[in-house]
Amino acid sequence: MTAPVLSVRNLRVEFPTRRGTLVAVDDVSFDIMPGEVLGVVGESGAGKSLTGTAIIGLIEPPGRIGAGEIRLKGERIDHLPPERMRRIRGKRIGMVFQDPLTSLNPLYRIGDQLSETILTHTDVDAGEARRRAVALLAEVGIPAPQQRVDSYPHQFSGGMRQRVVLALALAAGPELVIADEPTTALDVSVQAQIIALLKRLCRDHGAAVMLITHDMGVIAETADRVAVMYAGRIAEIGPVRDVVKAPLHPYTVGLMGSIPKPDADIDRLVQIPGTMPRLTAIPSGCPFHPRCPRAFAPCPTRRPELRPHGRAEVACWLFEPDMAEAAR
Amino acid sequence: MSAAPLVEAKDLGRVFDVSKPWLNRMVERVPRQTLAAVIDVTFAIGQRETFALVGESGSGKSTVAKLTVGLIAPTTGDVVIAGVSMNDPSRHAERQRLRRRIQMVFQDPYASLNPRWSARDIVAEPIRAFGLLRTRAEIEGQVGDLLRLVGLDPADGRKYPHEFSGGQRQRVAIARALASRPDFIVCDEPTSALDVSVQAQILNLMRDLQGRFGLTYLFISHNLAVVRHMASRIGVMYLGRLVEVGPTRDLFRAPRHPYTRMLLDAVPDLDLTGRPRKPVEGEIPNPIDPPKGCPFHPRCPFANSRCRSELPLLLSGGSTLVACHGVEEGRI
Repeated sequence: MTAPVLSVRNLRVEFPTRRGTLVAVDDVSFDIMPGEVLGVVGESGAGKSLTGTAIIGLIEPPGRIGAGEIRLKGERIDHLPPERMRRIRGKRIGMVFQDPLTSLNPLYRIGDQLSETILTHTDVDAGEARRRAVALLAEVGIPAPQQRVDSYPHQFSGGMRQRVVLALALAAGPELVIADEPTTALDVSVQAQIIALLKRLCRDHGAAVMLITHDMGVIAETADRVAVMYAGRIAEIGPVRDVVKAPLHPYTVGLMGSIPKPDADIDRLVQIPGTMPRLTAIPSGCPFHPRCPRAFAPCPTRRPELRPHGRAEVACWLFEPDMAEAAR
Repeated sequence: MSAAPLVEAKDLGRVFDVSKPWLNRMVERVPRQTLAAVIDVTFAIGQRETFALVGESGSGKSTVAKLTVGLIAPTTGDVVIAGVSMNDPSRHAERQRLRRRIQMVFQDPYASLNPRWSARDIVAEPIRAFGLLRTRAEIEGQVGDLLRLVGLDPADGRKYPHEFSGGQRQRVAIARALASRPDFIVCDEPTSALDVSVQAQILNLMRDLQGRFGLTYLFISHNLAVVRHMASRIGVMYLGRLVEVGPTRDLFRAPRHPYTRMLLDAVPDLDLTGRPRKPVEGEIPNPIDPPKGCPFHPRCPFANSRCRSELPLLLSGGSTLVACHGVEEGRI
């Protein structure tokens, strides 16, 4: 058995406030294997971006990792000194964010930004770095890379900029790429291009991917496995086909039903009543129980753990044999 | 569409002046620059119908929305609602009476609700502005009913926009739109800023309200799945022009224009059928300098020399209207 590239165990991200500690990511555990794409899906406030931010060590104080551990190829990377973490980001972990304009420095030429990353993290001279920058731009599908390498970010369109960001994330040959809503700001036709590119690049470079998005469609297209997050916890995690086609957790069922589909005639979409709870008022027991159509005795008071069910794992009392028996 | 349509857009066009300031033009010796955001857009929406415009950013769909409700004036063409021209100065009085019957719901409920007004005042404003109800008690009762109608508690009326979630805020925006008892609501990306489960709530609500009050919608969205769910007819826009118009079912079953096909092909495959996706080429060109001939030809796999030189007209073909030389010639 191969070892996972990334291993997250019982991660807890909390924000101390005057009125007590708010827990934004609560007891989250998962692994990403080499070459695997793990999709992390959830609605706003589910804690999916914060999980990614915790992994790259960029949680803004007063937020902090309260418990748990994060291992990259077996080595603990939570609580590393900032300088050592900085060397890991960009070299061993590449990052792609939603808005390519904020990931690129508007005052530097694209080629200089790529060369800087290559020079910082690898042992090459400036000429070789520039040659690699051009090769990377060609690889991500920038036309005429020899000329475009000297352009500024504003001279690129949104889709082209996101391609540059992908090149930047892969510049130092990372083992893991964390992509946080990489296609959300793009038009559908461009979105499809970027998804295809992300998939191909990571396969070619052998990088594992953590793909954070709210868009189930993007996950279905790209991910091998998917983790569904709700109120800071993983509700369900499993192979993408199982989770998309036969979701177990009532939240995943509702989420899938609420997506309008282009090839089906449905009169009403499935509706989950209510909204995602705020951090200040996460319900006791299973956090989904006030909105859950199938909640029963243990749900309001006892918190369900992630347990294997088929090829997936689900945190729901319905799938605990003893409990489901008692409910009947 | 049996009776006369409620809304008609006739050869609608809008040009924006995007020139640099006068001094820059003189010093840098650059000419004036214009951007044709909407060109020759014609459509009709029947009573109680939902007509949708889809397109990517820069296709001009939001400009059509603004032209339709009269937020901006067209450069050419006209919008006629219930038989009244929205741009004929001689029909000013009729138009003022018509205003009550037209409302709009915008994408971003953070920007479209006044943060310093309570939800109650926001919803009551159209009632006051059009003088629909006189006494305070009547208005308050009506506002309470409207808030209940969109699934909020009348007690929420005391709250300010920042105290609501995104979905609730969009509900307030819908309650405000309904307050003047309109017939026609233009919805510009009403759910793009919302999470999917909240989007489902809002889309269901909008369909319920349509059935209940016989509303007519012009629905603007970039999301084909949402449009499919909401609209009975769809117009596909590209670089300011309509390239295909037709009944939703036909358009999704047998898209004819290569751009429509490309858009449908780009929708992520949630059913995991393993349907091979054609790689989509290129991006929308700069509308300041649109391609000659068919605006889609640089990205079109079927383009020939005629496409590069001659603009295709929107021609009827089967149940849909298509602007494509290839379709007209039977090549595609």
